[in-house]
Formats: sequence, structure tokens, C-alpha cells
Amino acid sequence: MALINEDEALIAAALNGSAFAWEKLVKRYESRVYNQGLRLMGNPADAMDLCQEVFLGVYRNLHRFRGDAKFSSWLFRIAHNKSVDLNRRKRLMMVQAKPWSQEEDDGLDMYPAATGFEPDEKLDQSQANTQVMTMLAQLPMDQRLIVELKIYQSLTFEEIADMQDISTNTAKTRFYTALKKLKVVSEKDHVLP
Amino acid sequence: MSCPKTQHVMLEYFSDDLAPLMREEMEKHLASCAECNQELESLLMTKSSLEAWQEQRVPHWDRGVELFSREHRTSKTGNASWDIWQWIPTAASFAMLCVLLLNVNFSTTEQGFSISFNSGANAQSDVTEMLASFEGAQQLEMNQAIERMEDRQDGNNLRMMQAMLEQNQQATAENLEQIYAYFEQQRILDLQDMRVGYQQLVDSDYETIRSLQQLASFVSFQDDVR
Ligand SMILES: [Zn+2]
Repeated sequence: MALINEDEALIAAALNGSAFAWEKLVKRYESRVYNQGLRLMGNPADAMDLCQEVFLGVYRNLHRFRGDAKFSSWLFRIAHNKSVDLNRRKRLMMVQAKPWSQEEDDGLDMYPAATGFEPDEKLDQSQANTQVMTMLAQLPMDQRLIVELKIYQSLTFEEIADMQDISTNTAKTRFYTALKKLKVVSEKDHVLP
Repeated sequence: MSCPKTQHVMLEYFSDDLAPLMREEMEKHLASCAECNQELESLLMTKSSLEAWQEQRVPHWDRGVELFSREHRTSKTGNASWDIWQWIPTAASFAMLCVLLLNVNFSTTEQGFSISFNSGANAQSDVTEMLASFEGAQQLEMNQAIERMEDRQDGNNLRMMQAMLEQNQQATAENLEQIYAYFEQQRILDLQDMRVGYQQLVDSDYETIRSLQQLASFVSFQDDVR
């Protein structure tokens, strides 16, 4: 008999009503989802929202999960879709809230709340992370997602293309465009006094 | 000054699966072309500053354990109570929205604006009425969608509503309808996403996922806008 992997054991126990198993399952992945949220959404509050929505989605569909896909791939596919969705909602909300500022469409590609972190939130955020978030804030969501999937989730371009229903070439080009754009950004950062 | 091959070479460099012969050729070009070399160097620097990300700790949250325990308790008593329970967050948000709207209108009345909402008992019955028709409409839909239901996070909704209301001091019935329609649309979109995403996984049919097509067209729409 093959070894049952821990995820599957936890899923089975959770489906049997074990809150302990459910919490353990969440604990295994919450950090990766939360950090993805930070990078994609640009602030702790939205990252936490993403985290909650992703695990709610996982919970609601757990009984449908079958072992033929890896649980982590399934979860991160949900996380990917939820990020896109949450980002779209935040943007819609901004547009609806301020119908008179539509000319500033540059700002619409930015993080909804990238402008200000609360001081205490900034404290437990390393300088490296602040720099990464500032860099990613310059990218439109489609490029930000490719960077996320390629650099932080180490997917191949083929896997990314598959997940986003684009061609492998588009994925590659988008990644290159993003790096190039960030290159310019970080060069600008260095020029600043 | 500019090398026509740069983009091509860079794309090749970052490929996951470049044939050995092509890689050799690319490396040869890089060795001889100062410009491509420099471009690559700065891209790699950018990449490594992105890779400097340090995993951040998740703030304390309940991990859905409360929801989990509650549902596993109620599920034993059958589906009926669960059916109604699922709508509580949405219904509560909606009721809250009505109250907020009425409050806003009430205060503007005191400042001399003429607004037609009545105070007191009438306002209360307005809310009850709206809520009743809202629940009636939802009940129909729910019977079909109950299995795939994903409830919205009411805290989220509330925050969005408050943000909208702050911007729209003159809240009107149309605003209310718009906002409600917006939530409803988001909810249905979510349902579709989850449903399609799930079926797709079950079938292992990674190519035909509708939600991802929607995503792709959304993303390219963003491209167009830019
Ligand atoms: Zn060259």
C-alpha cells in the first residue's frame, strides 16, 4: 500500500469533521498564500482578505477535491483566480467610488492601497520586502502575476501559459517585459538621491 | 547602438527548455555582444532583488476554524437550517446597507436637503420589505445553486459599502440598486469561477477552463486599455 501523503490525510480527516485537521491543513499553506497576497495586492489588509477568500474557497470545495491533482496545485490555482478577482473588485470599487477621476488611469494599474502602509505594519516588513512591493506596484496586474508565478512559485512558462490560457510565447514575452520595466524602475531608484 | 537580437536572446535565456545547440549559440552571442550582455546583467540584477523577498509571518487569524466547527455541528441537523444560515452574511450586509442609506439620508435632511425617506417606523418597514423581497428572489436561485454556493465575506462587503457611501453622500434608491446589482454580479462570478475551476480539475481538462478564458480576456482588455 502506498504511503498516503499528509495533505490527503488531513483532507480526509477534515472532511470527517476534524477541525484540528482543517486548521493544520490551513497552517501548511497560509504563509505562502499570505505572502503571495502581499506581493500581488500590495498591502497586509488585502493580503489577509485574499488569504481568507482562498481558504474559504478551498473549504467550500474540499469535498470535491480528488487526489488526481496535487492539492497544492489545486490550492494555488484557486489563489491565482482569487487574486485576479479580488484585484478586479478593488479596482471596480475605486472606479465606482471616484467616477470623476477617471483620467488618472495610470493609477488604476497600481495597487489600490500601495500608497501608505501603517507604521506598525511597516515595522515587521523588511526593507527588502518593501522594495519588492514598491517594484511590483509599478507593474500592471497581468505582468505582476507572471512575475509571481515565475519567480516566487517557480512555475515553468508552459505551466503559466496553461494556467492563464495564453501561449507560452506570450508568457515569456510578458515576463521579459516585466523584468525590463522593473529594470528601468530600479535604475531610477538608484539615481534618486 | 542597438542590437536587433536582444529581445530574442533574452527570451531564449529565460526559457525553461532551450535545446543545447541553441543555448550554445545564444551564449556565443552573449559573449561577443556587449549590449546584450549588459541587458542580461541588469535583468538578472532585477531578478535577484525580487528574489530577496523574505517570507513574512501571517497575522493571527482564526483559519476558518469557527466556521468549520459551526458547520460541522449544523450539518448533522440537516440541510434546512444550513440553507438559511448561508444567506445570513449577505442578508445582514444588505440590511446594513439599507440602514446606512437611511441614516445618511436622515442626516442630510437635518442639514436642509429634502429627501423623501421617512424616519422611524416607516423606514423600518422599508428595510423589512426590501429584505423580504431580496430573500424571496434569492431563495429561488439558491435551490439550484446551493451545492456550489460560496458565501461572500460580509466584513468585506461592509467595508466596500461604507467606502462607496462615503463617496456618494447623496445616496439614492438607484445607488442602492446599483450597489446591490454589483454585489450580486460579483457573487455569481465567484460561483462560476469556482464551478468551472472545479470541473476543470476533475476532468483534468486544463485547456478549456472558462474562468481562465475570462481571465485572459480580462487581462488582454487591460492591455488594450493601456
Ligand atoms: Zn546582441
